[in-house]
Amino acid sequence: MTPQQAKIESDRCLQCFDAPCMSACPTHIDIPKFILMIKTSNVIGAAEVVKTSNALANACGKICPEEVFCQSACTRGKQDSPIQIRELHFFATQQEKQKGFSATRRFPTSNKKVAVIGAGPAGLGCAFELAKLGHRVDVYDSRKPGGVPRNSIPSFRLAARELESDTRFLSRFFRFKAQSVDSRGLERIRKTHDAAFLAVGLGKDRMLGIPGEKLKGVLPVLKFLEKAKAASSGVKIGKNVVVVGGGNVSLDAAATAKRLGAHHVLLIYRRSEKEMRVWKGELEEARKQGVEIRFLINPVSIVGKNKVAGMKCRRTRLCKRKDKTGRPVPVEVAGSDFTVEADTIIIAIGQTIEANWLEGIERRGGGYVKVGENFQTSVPGMFAGGDMIAGEGTIVQSVAHGKYAARAIHEFLSAK
Amino acid sequence: MEYQVLKELELYPVRDLSYDFLGIHFESPFILAAAPSTDNLDMVRRAFAMGWAGAILKTTSVEGTRVDLCYPMMSTFDHEGRKLFGMGNIDLISEHHINKVEFNIRTLKKEFPEKMVAASIMAGRKEDWQSLVQRLESAGADLIECSFSCPQGNIGEDPGKMLAQSLSATELTARWVKEAAKRIPVSIKITPHVTDIVEVAKAVKRSGCDALTASNSIQALMGIDIRSFAPLPSLGGKSTYSGMTGPAIKPITLRTIAEIARNVDIPILGTGGASTWSDAVEFMSVGAGVVEFCTVVMHYGFRVIDDLKSGMSHYLDDMDLSSPAAIVGKALPNIVTHDDLPRQKIRSHINEKLCIGCELCYVACRDGGHMAIDQQPNKVPRVDRERCVGCGLCQHVCPVDRCIDMNVVA
Repeated sequence: MTPQQAKIESDRCLQCFDAPCMSACPTHIDIPKFILMIKTSNVIGAAEVVKTSNALANACGKICPEEVFCQSACTRGKQDSPIQIRELHFFATQQEKQKGFSATRRFPTSNKKVAVIGAGPAGLGCAFELAKLGHRVDVYDSRKPGGVPRNSIPSFRLAARELESDTRFLSRFFRFKAQSVDSRGLERIRKTHDAAFLAVGLGKDRMLGIPGEKLKGVLPVLKFLEKAKAASSGVKIGKNVVVVGGGNVSLDAAATAKRLGAHHVLLIYRRSEKEMRVWKGELEEARKQGVEIRFLINPVSIVGKNKVAGMKCRRTRLCKRKDKTGRPVPVEVAGSDFTVEADTIIIAIGQTIEANWLEGIERRGGGYVKVGENFQTSVPGMFAGGDMIAGEGTIVQSVAHGKYAARAIHEFLSAK
Repeated sequence: MEYQVLKELELYPVRDLSYDFLGIHFESPFILAAAPSTDNLDMVRRAFAMGWAGAILKTTSVEGTRVDLCYPMMSTFDHEGRKLFGMGNIDLISEHHINKVEFNIRTLKKEFPEKMVAASIMAGRKEDWQSLVQRLESAGADLIECSFSCPQGNIGEDPGKMLAQSLSATELTARWVKEAAKRIPVSIKITPHVTDIVEVAKAVKRSGCDALTASNSIQALMGIDIRSFAPLPSLGGKSTYSGMTGPAIKPITLRTIAEIARNVDIPILGTGGASTWSDAVEFMSVGAGVVEFCTVVMHYGFRVIDDLKSGMSHYLDDMDLSSPAAIVGKALPNIVTHDDLPRQKIRSHINEKLCIGCELCYVACRDGGHMAIDQQPNKVPRVDRERCVGCGLCQHVCPVDRCIDMNVVA
């Protein structure tokens, strides 16, 4: 947005009281307030309002799926069209970035030490809030801070430098320990810290469990996306790529494959478009890139001698019965098998927790870590948030987990 | 997961915006004008808790004065889709008995000793003016503001005239008020509806009063229903002139403050059309010591104080100014008479890269300027530098920021 566009758009904001956009934002940014500030040309003030509530302000400003959060609730949408809240948010944080971060206040100091394990959105959100509350925070991650947004969200959606402005800003609020944590490490951390927050995300790709998955050319989606993002000169991709899965990550993978030069990218999903849990923007992007999306198809086996040559598929139909997610169950149609040619197959059907050092911490369905309302796990003093507790979510949801878990940790420490 | 909305932890330091003016300590230049927002104790409490530096309680009068209000009293001047560009009211003074106003002042000063609490008064006879001052001063008011300019008032020399429209009545009444005030400063709230605002300011200065509040609402006829011919706001088809406030009157107030400040050495409380922190900067730069707000609060609520303070803080940082007080009068040396303006040769220049081809500059110049802009096949108009006199109309009708420059020609 140009300054003039931001001004015109901010002028459209009705300045609702008890604004629904604010409740719809998981981090509860005071949206009418920052928009008023853009309107009065107090853009740095606007950025400060955003950053006060949301630790990953730039990243969320860039890729937050506004259609399911703030903008979906905008009152102005009932009159004509909703305010472009995310664009205004991004405009403000970008302006602040250019000008130089505003100086932050001195925070109180407690004598408490908290360990945050995992430097993704949830971990960073938690560390930031804990620092504001005066606690000393050590953040552990084997990789540079940023988590999923840094490692696997494609650059065309979120460039490294866009996230870096957030991590650079946040780095002053905690001590970063570039080390991975195992069960003994966790024991040590527990002894040296007054509380811990687990936020290592998922990290392990779910596989289909069908014949041929070990063949060369079959790529788990996270590995593929991480490699694509890390490579400076691009990675090699086959001519014919099939992506299995109907989520945002599969769309990211399909669009990435296309951008890497794949001749034809086919995405197959076992249900129909209506059941896809994806952001509109992602679907549009994948289609714009020329990804072919076919619905009601199940993979049966992967064929090939040493490497992938194709995928045997079977048609499905949706029955009336619904699964746990409330979506109709797809059943295979007998005699509908067909084979698609492929030299690369990307499996993108979801992730599970990779960490194998969580012994003694209660899990729930799907293997996710079970937490109470205050984000505390079954182990007292051990809190958790982000995708580990809820499954694949959005950056803003994870930041909110971290933020609200930090409040709970503070209460826990104060009661100690 | 749903979370309870928790109060955010402050991330940024709060800049000190406080300074002294009229011997009173102000936390910031932002105070509430005498209006409905300051007529109720709970409302002022809320405003103070949210960060307003002070309030002038809605105008009170002597006991037994019947306040004969009519409803509806509000109306609006909408402009090109914008609501409340100007706001009209046919409100009168507070309906509260003076005892209640005294109680409010006492309570507010006790609960918020650091805030500026002022009383606004209006009366007719000398003894009434003076007893109001005495009672409110003893109740603990930090300042007395005297409304000499209520647009609906009938306390001037002639019916329907405002007190501040008469120099002699202004000076005489101001003297009475000043006599009665023992310790606290007195400000006279004037109207811009006079032939010479400087003469009024001089009369106030002669009276010995401490300050001027410039200025009150603009008398206006808010509109006519073109089917029923009822003036607005329509009270069963009838209406009267309103006092107009809000963004629409800002330039009038700016001129009023500037004109007083350039000619009379007297502190000024600026009011009338300021809605934002930058409006406040403008008011202060032409001589206002503090700025009173009303319409923006009646539109959006007390919460606008957050932006006022934040915007002012960033402005002071950017400008490397130590305090809001440092803004006062900054623009005054730059206001000159027409004779003293620089005579330059100016030509308009359209930036082709920014032009969006609406041709508004073309039609404005053709029909309202000097027919100096020519249409082009590519819709990017061209300025004829021979015919262009540099009036600047095109620049102001252009919808694109910085697309048209006015350049000095050597």
